[in-house]
Amino acid sequence: MDFLDEIETCVPALRRYARALTRNADRADDLVQDCLERAIRKRGLFRPTGPVQAWLFRILVNLWRNSLRSERRRGEHVAYDALVVEPSIPAPQPGRLALGEMNRALDRLPDDQRETLLLVVLEGVSYEEAATILGIPIGTVMSRLSRARTALRTLTGIGDEPRLRTVK
Amino acid sequence: MTPLPTPVSEDDLHAYVDGLLPPARVAEVETWLAAHSDKAAEIALWQRQNEALTALFPPVAAETVPDRLKPRQLARRPRGLTLNWPQLAAAALVLLALGAGAGWALRTFERPSESDSLIASAVTAHSLYVKENRHAVEVVAADRDHLVSWLSNRVARPITPPDLAAEGFDLVGGRLLPGDYDADDNGPAAQLMYQNAANDRVTVYITAALPADGNAYQFVTRANLDAFYWSNDRITCTVVGSLPETEMKAVAKKIYTQLTWRPDGTESTRS
Repeated sequence: MDFLDEIETCVPALRRYARALTRNADRADDLVQDCLERAIRKRGLFRPTGPVQAWLFRILVNLWRNSLRSERRRGEHVAYDALVVEPSIPAPQPGRLALGEMNRALDRLPDDQRETLLLVVLEGVSYEEAATILGIPIGTVMSRLSRARTALRTLTGIGDEPRLRTVK
Repeated sequence: MTPLPTPVSEDDLHAYVDGLLPPARVAEVETWLAAHSDKAAEIALWQRQNEALTALFPPVAAETVPDRLKPRQLARRPRGLTLNWPQLAAAALVLLALGAGAGWALRTFERPSESDSLIASAVTAHSLYVKENRHAVEVVAADRDHLVSWLSNRVARPITPPDLAAEGFDLVGGRLLPGDYDADDNGPAAQLMYQNAANDRVTVYITAALPADGNAYQFVTRANLDAFYWSNDRITCTVVGSLPETEMKAVAKKIYTQLTWRPDGTESTRS
């Protein structure tokens, strides 16, 4: 398969992950476009030996981290758009987490935990691949996942819910 | 109750939730969970977290891909900054054909890439300081601890001068230079100078990684000097010298190997 075709098959996965990272559809596509341009520009200079998808994800993550860094420096705030809370399941059934609540909780996760959790959950990559993409040891992937899940539990208030209800 | 063959670890539980366990192990984990209801409740919550995340960010495969995200269209688009090598080569031929005047006019449309301007800075700094005797470096190698901590602090990356004794080169010392790259956060550059018994000098020019540049390699010859450039997710490094080619390559390779190993033993450069 041609290099460009190979890249093309990765676009939907990149867009999904970019949306989850940026929480804004336009910004997500900007990020993906940047990533693709960079990949295309570099193909002669730098030939990836591993799977192209992991390489693309790695470029995307690096671009995202850099844009977060420069934003923090400039103190910009980017508004979320409506894309995010468009529930694809009909209504919060008992036993499901409310999506809005999950969305807010996700927002408050530290960046490194968020990027790791979303990569594993949305893209279904193995822990080893996640380590390659994020440029961290596999042990760090595991500890970030663990911290992210614990933090989400606290932030969505699930663990505390029954206790809070008995207060009144 | 019969004891389980392999104890269930925290990692197993994550892999169970993320669907990354082989089927046989899934069964073992489920048996274990049946006997540990407190853990089972937590695992059920993790599963609901995963469901919620998947619902928040559903797959986009069904959506039409906008033109600007189509690799073929992107590759075709003649943007000054996104030329690939074959295009650059073609552009160079066109420029030659058009002659120097037209070439000069067109040249203003092409901004040099980030790495090109770093290489240019490294080469300029090399030619400037290798001629110096008393002022070749700011901090001499005898003051190595200070040199290392000072440069590492200013460049914000751990900079350990590579050991080139096997290649016959000793560290002369180092200095701090302004980073020439016009981006906002690249910071200053560290220059390390080495010298061999024949008084040949080699400099190593290190900066923090370029924004999102990832891994790249380049070899260029400029003003009779050879420059090896590479970058990873932590640093960029340009080795400059005018040694015979094989010697230059050996030195560059040695420096590369030493600078790309992380303290935890993993190589920071991957392909």
